Order: sequence, then C-alpha cells, then structure tokens
Amino acid sequence: MTSEIRIDPKLLAEFITLNKNILEAPNLAQSLDEINLEVTPYEVVHSEDKVRLLHFSPLADKQMKTPLVIAYALVNRFHIFDIHPKKSWIRNLLTQGVDVYLIDWGSPTQINQHEGFDDYVNGYMDNCIDFVRKESSSDTISLQGYCTGGTLSTVYTALHPKKIKNLILTSPIIDGRRDSTVVSNLAKHMDVDKLVDTVGNMPPELMYYVFSILKPFEQGFEKYLNFFKNIHNKEYVENFIRVEKWVNDTPPIPGELYKQWIKDVYQDNLLINNNMYVGGKQVSLKNISVPLLTQVAVGDHLVSPECSMPIHYAVSSEDKTLKIYPTGHVGMIASSFSQKKVLPEFVQWLSERSEKK
Amino acid sequence: MTEAISICSENHKILPIMSIPPDVKKSLADYKHTSLFWTDLLYLMSNKQQTITATGPFRKFAITAKKLSTETIEMNEDVTEFNSRLAAYYKQLADTWTEAQKEYTRKVPELPSDMENMEASKRIWIDMFENYFTKLFDSSEFAENFGKLVTSELEIAKHWNNMTSALLESANMPTKKDMDEVYQELHSLRKRIAKLEKITNPEVT
Repeated sequence: MTSEIRIDPKLLAEFITLNKNILEAPNLAQSLDEINLEVTPYEVVHSEDKVRLLHFSPLADKQMKTPLVIAYALVNRFHIFDIHPKKSWIRNLLTQGVDVYLIDWGSPTQINQHEGFDDYVNGYMDNCIDFVRKESSSDTISLQGYCTGGTLSTVYTALHPKKIKNLILTSPIIDGRRDSTVVSNLAKHMDVDKLVDTVGNMPPELMYYVFSILKPFEQGFEKYLNFFKNIHNKEYVENFIRVEKWVNDTPPIPGELYKQWIKDVYQDNLLINNNMYVGGKQVSLKNISVPLLTQVAVGDHLVSPECSMPIHYAVSSEDKTLKIYPTGHVGMIASSFSQKKVLPEFVQWLSERSEKK
Repeated sequence: MTEAISICSENHKILPIMSIPPDVKKSLADYKHTSLFWTDLLYLMSNKQQTITATGPFRKFAITAKKLSTETIEMNEDVTEFNSRLAAYYKQLADTWTEAQKEYTRKVPELPSDMENMEASKRIWIDMFENYFTKLFDSSEFAENFGKLVTSELEIAKHWNNMTSALLESANMPTKKDMDEVYQELHSLRKRIAKLEKITNPEVT
C-alpha cells in the first residue's frame, strides 16, 4: 500500500526560495561591524567623564531660538534617534528649524558604579543644560526625555524648574506600580541590592534577556524569517541591520543609578507619590508647572501607557497635552509613522511655545 | 537556607516541586564541619611555625586555604539552589510550550499543504505561542522564580569573588573591595570638586 503526500508547488517554491535567500544573505547584507550608525553630523560641544553633549548642525535657515535638549534613555545608545535618514527624529527636527542638542550618556564602566540619580540629574544633566543655556544665550531650554531619559527629565524639571521652558516626555517611566509590562514584572522581583553589590553595574546581558522575552516569537523567529524573505529588498535589509546593531549595543547602567531607579520607580513607587529623594531633595512633581507634552504609545511593550500617563495628572502645569499614538516604543521615534504623525505634531506644539530668532 | 520552589502548573496552581533534600543538606553540613575542623586544627598546630614568617607568604597561604575551602563548600550549596531554580525555570517554559502546542493542535488539526493555509497557520502558531508565553512572563510565579534564579547566581558569583579576593590578597594585590573603596573615594572627590567649581564659577547657574 502506498501513501501520497500532496504539497502545494507554491509552498515548495517558497521553501526553496527561502533556502536560496539564506545562502545569499551574506552577499546582500552588511555585517553589524560594517555599519556606521551616525547619520546626521554633530559636534561634541561639552563632555564630562563619559557623557557627551552633542550639538547637531542646523539644516534650516530659520531656527527657533529656544534650543531643544534631548535626554536619551539609559538603555541602548542614542542612535535610534538618528537611525536612518528617512526615519531620523533628529534630522526631521533640524529641517523644521529646531536647534537640537542631545545628551549621550556614553558607556559607563566600573569606575562609575557609585553614580546615582544625583550625579546624573544634578551633575551631568545640569552641567549640559547650563552649557546650552550659556551657548544659546537662552535662560531656559526645551527638554525632551525618552524612556528612562523621561524619568531623568521629570526629576530634573522638578528640581530645576527655572531652567526649563517646555518639557516633552516620550514614553517616560513614571508610575512603576501601574506598569503592566514584563520589564516591570521582573523588576519588582529583583534583589537589586545583591546585584549591585556583587557585580557593580547592571550588566547589559540582563537587559538582552529582558528584550528576548518581550515578544519571543515575533522578535526571535518571525523577525528573522521576514529578514531572509526580504533579503533582496535593499532598504529593508539596511534598516533591519541598523536596528539590530542598535538593539545589540546597550551599555551597562551605573549600579547606584540602577538600584535607585528599580527601587524608587518600580518597587516602592516613590516618584509618582512625590516621595523620591535626589541629592537630599524631595522630588515633588507639583514643582513642574511648565508646558508639558506627554507622548505615549498604545502598543508600547517596554513602558506601558498606564506607566507614563500619570505624569499628565501629577504636575501642576496648566498648559499640558497628552498624545496617545497607535504605535510601539521604538515606532514612536523611528518609523514612517513618527515622521508623518508624531513629529509634525511635536514640532507644532514646540514652535507655539518657543521663541523665534 | 533553601525553601520549596513552586512552579506554575497547567491550571496555574502553585505546586511545590523541588528543594534540596534534607539528607543532602545534612551531608553537606557534615562535610563542611569536618573539613573546617581539620583545617582549623592543622592551622592551630602549625601556627607557631608560621608566626616566624608572619609577614611572608606562608601564613597567608594557610589563611587563604581555609577561606578557599569554606567558600567552595558554601558555593556548592548555592549551586544546588541555582540548579533547582534553573530546573523550575525550564519546567515553566516546557509546560507553557506543551499547553500552547496542545491548543495549536486543537485549532489546526491538519498539517497545511498549500501556501495560503501555511501562512494562516504560521500566524496562528506565532500568536498562540506569543500569548501563552507572554502570560507566563507576566505571571508573578515566573518573576519570583526568575528573581531567585538570578539571586542564586549572584550568590555563586559572590563566592567566586571572595575566592579571587583571597588569592589576590595572598599575592599582595588589590581586591574588588579595595577597588570599590577607590571608586567610592573617586566618586566623592569628583562631587566635591564639582561643588567647588560651581561655587567659584557661578555665572550660569
């Protein structure tokens, strides 16, 4: 007796094509080391230890007088803001006349393990902002914080309200108790004292593990399958490699900063309850009275909207806007959607509240 | 020092499944006691001779040997704890995989044989597994076990650090503790300098 297996020829062809693509992939895609993630030219105008303040070259004749300082997150590097000319957050702002500075936190080593919120907010960040105020002859600046950079920017504005004209928080981590993501679930059960006492800084490997369980089948299987399927699409491949390089380049987080972040924001929820202390001073969100724009993404699986949105209600600002976008954590700042929707709204909001030259 | 480890079962009930068996625990403790007893006794018996070379390396070697054996024994206990947590971790993953696979087989009973069905069943497979695993990673049982898994790994790392420090000390080299003190000192010096700089150059603040 014989049995017959019927297979759709299209299915077989698809399988053969996929195998062919896998074999051809090394000839069609660059390796991570061959890619330079720096897209838009900048100048390092100030540096302190490993922290650098980048000033991007203007791309428009008319500029807003109030400069914008971007405080990038502590996880991964700042390149996601400038990942590809067509999806660059920074390039878009420059072409619309925004004077852009960015704080690059660099790659901390063991010597930085005792640096905490105080060093970052009242030290590095304050020095960078003072530098920009002096260089641009502006008493106040606009400050944008992304992800953990949003947490730092919130604390900074609460402690130094007179130096800030506008505050923009993009997916900020504010109310850890309400955060429904896997990141928050693991953070709540972490013996962070033991981690920091034993290894000093938060090792990147731990962060890579967390990334790997966020969407394990989409990110660990489907993403790579699609990469090989689209291996002949030059733009797709280039974008894929660039983002992969960015995802796999996360520096350690200074131990003391990581400890305070996990404890005060996720475990004890002190920030939203105005009970967090930085440099001996109580951080009261009521001190924030400047115009506030909060941007959250519905599909954010790293910082859930419930974690970010409470800042909108906790500050005393009268001029405040909450924008909710149908995208994800990275899609918010580095996608075609962000170019078409998020950035135009952002720049319009900013220009209405900034001085013109 | 160990406790029963609970895992998330199919119906999400918590079941105690693993802990260090009492007889293993007892034999480890006996071994530790016997080993330390003889190490101490030999150390005491040879102490007089060693004091002659109190500043030399021999005395340090004797102290180091005891430290190394204590750390090794204690590390073994933590390795057992780590292995239990790791087994529970993989059991959680395996159980979730089995549940997701069962559900997938129920929804897609036949192997797709054409392109359209293949794409649809791939989508169902990814969505289903994503849902099951996200539910697991979101559960407090997973996070609790993961937290303890990391903690037990850190305990092992701590013993390893202590052993390395003992060896470095015996060779008159700076240990992790010494370096930490230097880092701490540098950190506070930097802060003091920054404060002084702000006092002497207050123009922008």
